[in-house]
Amino acid sequence: MKKKLLKIINGVLENNNRKKIEDINDNISLRNDVGFDSLDLAEFTVCIEKEFGIDIFENSLVDTIKEVVKKIKG
Amino acid sequence: MSKIFFYNLLDNEKILYEDLLNRLNKKNMFYYPYCYTKKYSDIFINILVSLLADDEIVLLDSDFSKEELGNISINKEKLSIRKKVEYSPLKSVQDLIFRIKNASKWRTTLFSSGTTGLPKKITHNYFSITKEVKISKEKINNTWGFAYNPTHIAGLQVFFQALLNYNSIINLFQLSRKNIFKLIKKYQITNISATPTFYRQLLPPEDIFPNVERITFGGEKYDKKISKETKIIFPKAKILNVYALTETGTIFASKGDNFTLKDKYKDLIKVVNNELLIHKDLLGEFDLLELKNSSWYHTSDIVEIIKKNPLEFKFKYRKSEMINVGGYKVSPYEVEEVIRRHPKVQNVVVYGKSNSVMGNLIYCDIELKDKKITEKDVRLFLINKLQRFKIPRVINFVDNISTARTGKVKRL
Repeated sequence: MKKKLLKIINGVLENNNRKKIEDINDNISLRNDVGFDSLDLAEFTVCIEKEFGIDIFENSLVDTIKEVVKKIKG
Repeated sequence: MSKIFFYNLLDNEKILYEDLLNRLNKKNMFYYPYCYTKKYSDIFINILVSLLADDEIVLLDSDFSKEELGNISINKEKLSIRKKVEYSPLKSVQDLIFRIKNASKWRTTLFSSGTTGLPKKITHNYFSITKEVKISKEKINNTWGFAYNPTHIAGLQVFFQALLNYNSIINLFQLSRKNIFKLIKKYQITNISATPTFYRQLLPPEDIFPNVERITFGGEKYDKKISKETKIIFPKAKILNVYALTETGTIFASKGDNFTLKDKYKDLIKVVNNELLIHKDLLGEFDLLELKNSSWYHTSDIVEIIKKNPLEFKFKYRKSEMINVGGYKVSPYEVEEVIRRHPKVQNVVVYGKSNSVMGNLIYCDIELKDKKITEKDVRLFLINKLQRFKIPRVINFVDNISTARTGKVKRL
């Protein structure tokens, strides 16, 4: 799953003409480490929903990879 | 005097009221009547100098592209104009506030997304910008978290509310959540006014800040759930929901999503066919063609009447096709017009879809002349032509864009 997440994150970065990241781990924060702002997160959540069928931000915001994985796994 | 006027972590800049007076009392003062800068403190000081000069200032979003500036007839020459001003030295902050309040000829022009695709020019005077500003001795110790674009009406209103009460302004706009929390605590912020999208980024609640006394929601449809969760972070805060337009500034405030009409507005606001109408006396100056020879401005906001006297209502939805992305209004026509200029694009339709982070997000369907471009190509083409929030975040390439019977592109 993390490979898929990395691909999605890099897709968002690439679409916005920003440098891709090489690796992710549980503690990486989407806002502070990846540098996503609200617009990027909005795009990220659409891509996640397309891939996994879940709106990870529906009830509350998540920030770390660990939280994203937890949401996807339900 | 050592009180902070403005602090911005983004520019690592702290200006005390004392520094502000020194800057405003410099010799050979001037300001830029076409204000176009990323630095918030420069925007605020430019506004103050224009007020002291009792003259006009045009506020331009710092992320307007060259092309967007061109569309509103702003060129390099205009941006480089510096206007010399003369006024007697300021003696104190009270003196500054007194003079600002007497700037009877001062005008500021702002731009709001227009329904035709071109930004709409709206001019306000001191009275129309500050009509809902509340000044009192009890407010002197307030510290404001600044969470709006300073060239937009909501940002200006917070600026005046804070300045006229001699309050400190701490910028929270465009900061990470970690830094927002850090600053709320460090500077003991008491008041925050922001969009639901701003508060959404503070969730889930992790910490509590009892120092915050008032939270104001504006710019987007009120979100009860966000309001409830925000209350956990700021347990002592009173929550206020405001309705404002660039054309009017704030006109309603409520504790929830029901608004009650204040007595002073009773002849200036009415509901016709469920649409909220505002009398021209409450509007800033703008293209009167919009009013179509009537005294009433149609807001496109559809409301549900709860009580007739005094009028109590709540907002249902917007009739217009403008898309509200985290408090920024986007005209799909403007975005379509720019995308259509790509040599490989045959046709395009731009629309909004609801989004759990931004309220709404911009999507587009593109029909290509040949299949040789990617989503990234389209995005790169748009980067220097449109403000960031206007660029579609989801691009679908389709074989055929359906057209309605009239030949108009069908907006989904």
